[in-house]
Amino acid sequence: MTDSHLTRRALLRYGAYGAGAAALAGTAASWDRLTGADIPGRDDGSLVVATLGPAYGPAAVRTLTEGFQRLHPDIKVRINAVQAVDWSDFFAKILTQIAAGTAPDLVYVATEGVQLFARRLGVPLDRWVKRDAAELREYFADVHPALVESMMYEGSLYQLPVEFNAADIYLNNQVLDRAGAGFPAADWTRDDFTTLLRDMKRSSGSRFTPYFWTNRLWGGVVPWLFANDTNLLAESKAPGGSWLWDTFYPAAQRAGRGGGFRWTTPQAGQPRVEEAYDYLAALIEEGLCTRPEGGNGQNLIGVFSTGRVGVTPAGGFWAGGLHLAGMRAGSFDVQFFPRWRTQRMQFGAAGYALLRTSRRQDEAWEFIKYAARRDTLTRLFETNQTTPARRSMLNAARYAESGPAHWRVFYDTLDRFPDTAPIPAPPQVAEVEQVLLKHTGTALSSPRSVRPALRRMQGDLEQAMERDV
Amino acid sequence: MTNTQIPAVRPRPAPSPVPAPRPATRDRGTRLLAALFLAPTVVGIVVFTVVPIVGSVVLSLFHWNVIDSPRFAGAANYRELVGDSTVLVSFRNTLVFMVLAVALQLLVALVLALAVNGRMPVWLRSVFRSAFFFPLVLSAASISVVMKYLFNQDFGVVNWLIGLVGIAPVPWLTSENGAMATVILVYVWQQFGFSFLLFVGGLNNVPKEVHEAAALDGATGLRKHLHITLPLLSPTLLVASVVGIINALQVFEQPYVLTDGGPGDSTRTVVMVIYETAFEQLRFGTASAVGVLLFVLIMAVTALQFRLSRRFVHYQ
Repeated sequence: MTDSHLTRRALLRYGAYGAGAAALAGTAASWDRLTGADIPGRDDGSLVVATLGPAYGPAAVRTLTEGFQRLHPDIKVRINAVQAVDWSDFFAKILTQIAAGTAPDLVYVATEGVQLFARRLGVPLDRWVKRDAAELREYFADVHPALVESMMYEGSLYQLPVEFNAADIYLNNQVLDRAGAGFPAADWTRDDFTTLLRDMKRSSGSRFTPYFWTNRLWGGVVPWLFANDTNLLAESKAPGGSWLWDTFYPAAQRAGRGGGFRWTTPQAGQPRVEEAYDYLAALIEEGLCTRPEGGNGQNLIGVFSTGRVGVTPAGGFWAGGLHLAGMRAGSFDVQFFPRWRTQRMQFGAAGYALLRTSRRQDEAWEFIKYAARRDTLTRLFETNQTTPARRSMLNAARYAESGPAHWRVFYDTLDRFPDTAPIPAPPQVAEVEQVLLKHTGTALSSPRSVRPALRRMQGDLEQAMERDV
Repeated sequence: MTNTQIPAVRPRPAPSPVPAPRPATRDRGTRLLAALFLAPTVVGIVVFTVVPIVGSVVLSLFHWNVIDSPRFAGAANYRELVGDSTVLVSFRNTLVFMVLAVALQLLVALVLALAVNGRMPVWLRSVFRSAFFFPLVLSAASISVVMKYLFNQDFGVVNWLIGLVGIAPVPWLTSENGAMATVILVYVWQQFGFSFLLFVGGLNNVPKEVHEAAALDGATGLRKHLHITLPLLSPTLLVASVVGIINALQVFEQPYVLTDGGPGDSTRTVVMVIYETAFEQLRFGTASAVGVLLFVLIMAVTALQFRLSRRFVHYQ
């Protein structure tokens, strides 16, 4: 039989162990949560700016930091170029940094994340914009109000847009010639578009697909919804914002502007949404367009530049992409998206958002202003990898080498159709996008699948929008 | 000749200036040394396995969006999963994927291991071994990007090749069944190298005498493999299937890159749902709850395998 009595020495030993463990647990419990920022050397006092890595190469990073340093030698700045395949991936990585306690001061945020950041993380720029109104007058005069409005949330401005991309139609001139079709008119219709696709298909081989598109929030089904005068979520404007419009924009330009966009009730079951899906399903059935593929259209440049695709929706960013892929200036061109019920179009914009956790908010504001300057943007956007938000930067010289000939289309999408608006991106955007992509894939598997898939999409969107993020 | 006689009286040992350690002290020293050697592994397991598992279980009881402080939710996250069709479909997809992928992986690996173990020049055997193992050392994401190009319905090389013999383009990645089949193919192509190496090792350990005896008894070809090789290879088969099933239940990169879980939810797996729920929808509590369920599933499947192995696995 084992003696279950403890000796005095054992009792003391176990008592000491227990006291040690309790002390350790107590210390751990009372300690502030350790984060990545507590690692010695992490916080070197720099203003940390997180950018989407692939968009900003080493040269661009140097441009940003050196230029800012010359202007503000007292503010140390560090660019954190986050490598990500798309905006969704980028936000996931930024949120991981925030969770790790190493939040940057400024984050480059596109339309997809504007409202999420504004609602949960961002600082309104209103007080600084009002304070430096005189200095900013030149900036706002150069930037379309729709872009500025897309950066507002519930009456406050959260970012100064520095770039944008609206969905226009890129055309391969070689394919157009082969089809014997002329360059489409600016007011071409959806039927003109369908006829062009048929002409292209007839004149090319079986390995040719006239219309290529990628299943994503920007530039997927959404342009067709906009052209058919509808949207995935009911769109309205938040009240407020007059403090900005009255200060910076003339009456004609500020008419109808509010305090930012609101996307609320899902409307996937609406007849016009169904019409848009039916149209795409019919194009797929006829072999005129690709089936929806997920992802970011990595293989699109290759198939377009080699003439295996005739047309595709893209923004100003593609001018640089096609040029880098070896396409000469005259070998492709761009036109507005075709008219259906309307020619209103969707866009996405981006700028720097200031995070609430930043302890260098005044310095961050200086960086935001610096990043929106014309000279900064000119140096940053040398290769036409995007459309600058400043109208004055879009000129013949910029597109002389890369093309397209109709480069004016990029900014005219805003100027000629002033109700052109951002893609629907409420704070629940991640789930909304996921639901859209998932059900679009199913809806377009056959014309019969459209209605049931849209019914399920409506249900899932309702669930997503009910969630508080 | 050596004198092996044991003296009747053992001579007393000469008194030593340093007393020999007592047995208890020696034991303690040995234990301390063992603990010292084990410490890095134990610390690693605790920090990188036990703590995250416990953390996930705890987090699954909270609502947390990274930005705000966690709020206690009790079992709400688990209740939410019951009615979430995406989660249920992802578990079904993962199980279907596991069964098909692991079965195919083991079959391919075994057949190729038997073939490579047959009569062939040593250099050729080395070439095959390296070639079959090579995909395993590549990044699954990079492979999937390349495969996405190859299997593209409109512009992919695979459809171009089958088009040469008059077959119509196949929607490899854009139809529900085609997408799952393609994801399985890509996964198996990359993963079978591990099972292959295990089988090659296992086959080398099968005693030649057993085969010779079977040959004398008239066993040949498939019969010899079914009744001699396979039973002797069963311990290796158990290891390969356990590792294969655990990996397959955690599949992520291939469906994420190739199909993004589509079309619809047809290739969405449990780990994809965990990633999307946590990092895209910022619902870390719900994602942890899914993670806990996956953990339980993996444990249950592995336990079942070991239980069944008592009947089917033969150790020499």
